[in-house]
Amino acid sequence: MAKSLKKSKSRLWFLVHSWLALPIWFFVLIVCFTGMLAVVSQEIVWLANPDVRASKPDTDAERLSFQQVLNALHEAEPDMVVRSIIQPEGSHFALTANVTFPDGTTPTLYVNPYTGAIQGKSPDFNFQAFTRALHGWWLVPFTNGFSWGWYLVSILGLPMLASLVTGLVVYKKFWKGFFKPVRTGHGSRIFWGDLHRLVGVWSIWFIAVISITGTWFLIQAILFDNHISISSEPIVPVIARDEVPQTADGSPAPRIDLDEAARIAGLAIPGLEINFIALPATAYSHISMGGRGWYPLMVQSAEVNPYTRKVDSQFLLGDRSALEFVTESMRPLHTGDFGGLPIKLIWFFFGLVLTLMVFSGLLIWTKRTAQATAAALKRSERAPRTAPTQTSLEMQR
Amino acid sequence: MSHTQAVPVSPLKQWWLKWRFHLNILLILIPLGFMPKYFSDAKLFRGEAGLGANVITGIQAGPYTLDVAELRDEAPRRDGPAGDFKVFRAALCKACVNDVKAVYLRIGKPRSLRAAGTIFFGAPYAMATNLPIPPRTKPDAQIWITVEGWDGSMHQASVPLAQASPATVAWLEKKGGKK
Repeated sequence: MAKSLKKSKSRLWFLVHSWLALPIWFFVLIVCFTGMLAVVSQEIVWLANPDVRASKPDTDAERLSFQQVLNALHEAEPDMVVRSIIQPEGSHFALTANVTFPDGTTPTLYVNPYTGAIQGKSPDFNFQAFTRALHGWWLVPFTNGFSWGWYLVSILGLPMLASLVTGLVVYKKFWKGFFKPVRTGHGSRIFWGDLHRLVGVWSIWFIAVISITGTWFLIQAILFDNHISISSEPIVPVIARDEVPQTADGSPAPRIDLDEAARIAGLAIPGLEINFIALPATAYSHISMGGRGWYPLMVQSAEVNPYTRKVDSQFLLGDRSALEFVTESMRPLHTGDFGGLPIKLIWFFFGLVLTLMVFSGLLIWTKRTAQATAAALKRSERAPRTAPTQTSLEMQR
Repeated sequence: MSHTQAVPVSPLKQWWLKWRFHLNILLILIPLGFMPKYFSDAKLFRGEAGLGANVITGIQAGPYTLDVAELRDEAPRRDGPAGDFKVFRAALCKACVNDVKAVYLRIGKPRSLRAAGTIFFGAPYAMATNLPIPPRTKPDAQIWITVEGWDGSMHQASVPLAQASPATVAWLEKKGGKK
């Protein structure tokens, strides 16, 4: 009796597992597919567009400092305003500079890190941004708080997590499944079933990472839209009026250059990596800079006062609460952009596997679950009072 | 449930049973529908769609001229308990870029430089500021632009809110009517 109850319970789990993604299979498939593309979108652009590559003019060329790059940009385009310079993760990428031209256009320029030469301008179609927008919020615009597309996508973390849990419950002794060969020649149902289980056990960790971090994106949106903040990041006040000098002749007050600002920040904060530097956005703003620290999932930043040469504000690893270590790690864990190309390729590969999981799940469903559900329904007609089948009836509605 | 199997299945029902789980393919219509909006926004943020909507050109503030526009021709957006905000943009004349220390925006005339309003940030060719719209703003209010020079000088100019953002005035009038 106990055994048959256990059996019917596992049949119920099986049905839950089978039905989880089905009514939305295409949506899940596209989200997985675009996520896989988004992981390597930067690399795809690198392959497609020579402008974004950091090509060395000769073997012993040295990388320029931020101020040297800025000087080169000013020389090439004297009227252009440079707002920030960023070294993307990976030294094979050209620097990107966010600039504004006198006509008000604000393109991103690709700048050679060895020569400071402007190699090109971001194209009108930004593949990287587009795949991320499609994957992240289904292109639904952000008008008031988070877009509803963001909710639509991030809520998929829940059924995905449930798929993982129910999948492991119904796959008896799944830990023995890592090297089970996929049977061919027994029909496509057996083939897809074996494949689904094999790639499933290998992706347990990845599905857990993606679904948990995906659920975090949902929580993040809910917190933001309800004006709940868990951040300990300081709000940087503007520079006080009396710290910004007045000049008798009306020319701009002298400010320290970028390299000096970086040097000051480096002295004050040992181990500060600087991968991005933003020029003051107003006369009362700081030079802000930062980069990843020893813990690659989080960014450290510092604000240097360009008049007083003081580090007015900083946000380092040590300033984070334990909760922030968890929540701030969520995004890089989801996107896989914390360890260079190898990590990205692993994320890309398992993204492909996950897409395949959804697809094979659908194939298995069309071949089997329809019949299994019909059978369960028949059983429920015979024994309408047992709890599990009641539940399966409810699911059927 | 059992009687459904007994009744002969209509073609419509058959179609439904066969295709119901593929209907989610229609979700693809959402990003397809938003694609024109996505690309027009991308163009706006690249600065290729001009300064914004309802551009007022050649506003004179002392020796300086500038253009002001609202980012979008729409009512203010609510930011939770902080209130309602409108993004305005401004572009300084090319010749005055070096002389101007800061530009501020405020609804109503500021009493001093310290109360000049929200500061415009970004490159002087295309600056932006997020202007709070107090709930009791009168529809005939003026927005005041304060330009501060590096020498400490201060110059002001004003334009009617109705000209800078007709949608905001319409929104204010609608709100006023409700009270």
